[in-house]
Amino acid sequence: MIAHAIVETDSPDEFAEQIQKSQDAHPARIDANPENVEKGLAKLVLTLIELIRQLLEKQAIRRVEAGSLSEEEVERVGETLMKLENKMAQLKELLGLKDEDLNLNLGPLGDLM
Amino acid sequence: MTKSANVTLLEILDRVLDKGVVISGDMVISVADVDLIYLGLKVLLSSVETMEQLRGSPFAGPMQEAR
Amino acid sequence: MKLYLYGIVDSSNQIEEAIYGLRGCGVYSIPYRDIGVVVSEMGQATQGLTEGGVLEHEAVVEKLMADFTVLPMRFRTLVDGRDNLLAMMQSYYRDFKGSLERLRNKSEFGVKVIWPADKVKENIVNRLRSDQTEASGPRRSAGTRFMKEKFERYKIDEEFQTKADQFIKAMDMFLGKFAVEKRLETLKTEKLLLDAAYLVEKSQACDFREAFWHIKSAHPGFKFLLSGPWPAYNFVGLSKHDPARDAEQANLFAEVARSQALVGAGSV
Repeated sequence: MIAHAIVETDSPDEFAEQIQKSQDAHPARIDANPENVEKGLAKLVLTLIELIRQLLEKQAIRRVEAGSLSEEEVERVGETLMKLENKMAQLKELLGLKDEDLNLNLGPLGDLM
Repeated sequence: MTKSANVTLLEILDRVLDKGVVISGDMVISVADVDLIYLGLKVLLSSVETMEQLRGSPFAGPMQEAR
Repeated sequence: MKLYLYGIVDSSNQIEEAIYGLRGCGVYSIPYRDIGVVVSEMGQATQGLTEGGVLEHEAVVEKLMADFTVLPMRFRTLVDGRDNLLAMMQSYYRDFKGSLERLRNKSEFGVKVIWPADKVKENIVNRLRSDQTEASGPRRSAGTRFMKEKFERYKIDEEFQTKADQFIKAMDMFLGKFAVEKRLETLKTEKLLLDAAYLVEKSQACDFREAFWHIKSAHPGFKFLLSGPWPAYNFVGLSKHDPARDAEQANLFAEVARSQALVGAGSV
């Protein structure tokens, strides 16, 4: 059936597993079906919030690395980020969304996060 | 399916489903990622537009009619 | 009559071999100037184009690869009628021609590498822990501990990424020597260090494969996969020349940019 292309490997199972995993991790295509639009919008909003949360977290870590935060500031920022993370976890659970759902595929630009 | 056939199928699916030439136009019927991305962008736009309208109203709130 | 498309070939000749594609229909080439588009007829029902059809699609493209340079079509591309098909060919002719020239006498090879991610992480964690001095002072509260954890994880991820890049660079240096074009995806999963496609001249295919085996033997703890030769699915690189679509796209992006500016300008 397949004339020329050959796949050569000593570990077919492991590669099959990893390939499958990488395909599953890819965010689901945005579904513009009107019945699902509401859930789609919630997903979209949460995705954007998640993006901002991650950006803020990275910013904070960089400042910790650079040593430009006082002990008090580290404590305060850490507490806020922790609350934010917990809030997001709650919202995700409430809406039945997984981490992989909160992403956007921008075609040639790759994934948003 | 034998183990190595599984990985071959995955390799083929990865190429044939996601790569290759994608053409667009009115006469083309195809389920390509690109169309769905544009749909996604349109959804984003309409939700932002709604926000715009709400913000424009000085008494913006759930009871107000947008526009 | 809906036409199912398999690919574009660099010849206006007919296909000599009898090839059967989706739903067992005969495959033939419709010429346009000095190139051709390879199709089979679809009939009315377009549902049920399941992934089983993928193998049939691929089998056709592979047969074509033996005699022509092929631009493989993505799965499930249909055009409504011959007239529309020829209109499409007219609008894409220059793009197709350009890509066919670029891909002549070349095939695609796939290289995937699995690395011992767990061991790499373990080494990194051990090294980082031994570098750390004990935090002095009173017991930290929740916020500080949170930050410390995040910081550690960030450091580990950063090192992990750096190590990955080092290995990939070394491998790619070898393989890239025999490739005209390449497309690399790094750390697609934690274990899948590299998922690469290389476009290789047919005359260099042997050298490329030798380079692959050489790298394999140089990394005993890693796992390797080589696939090919494939039709150049990853390298078709067309710019879609549909003026109406381009204009719509430009408008869409302009609108999004305007909306982004609005969102940014407001108070959040």
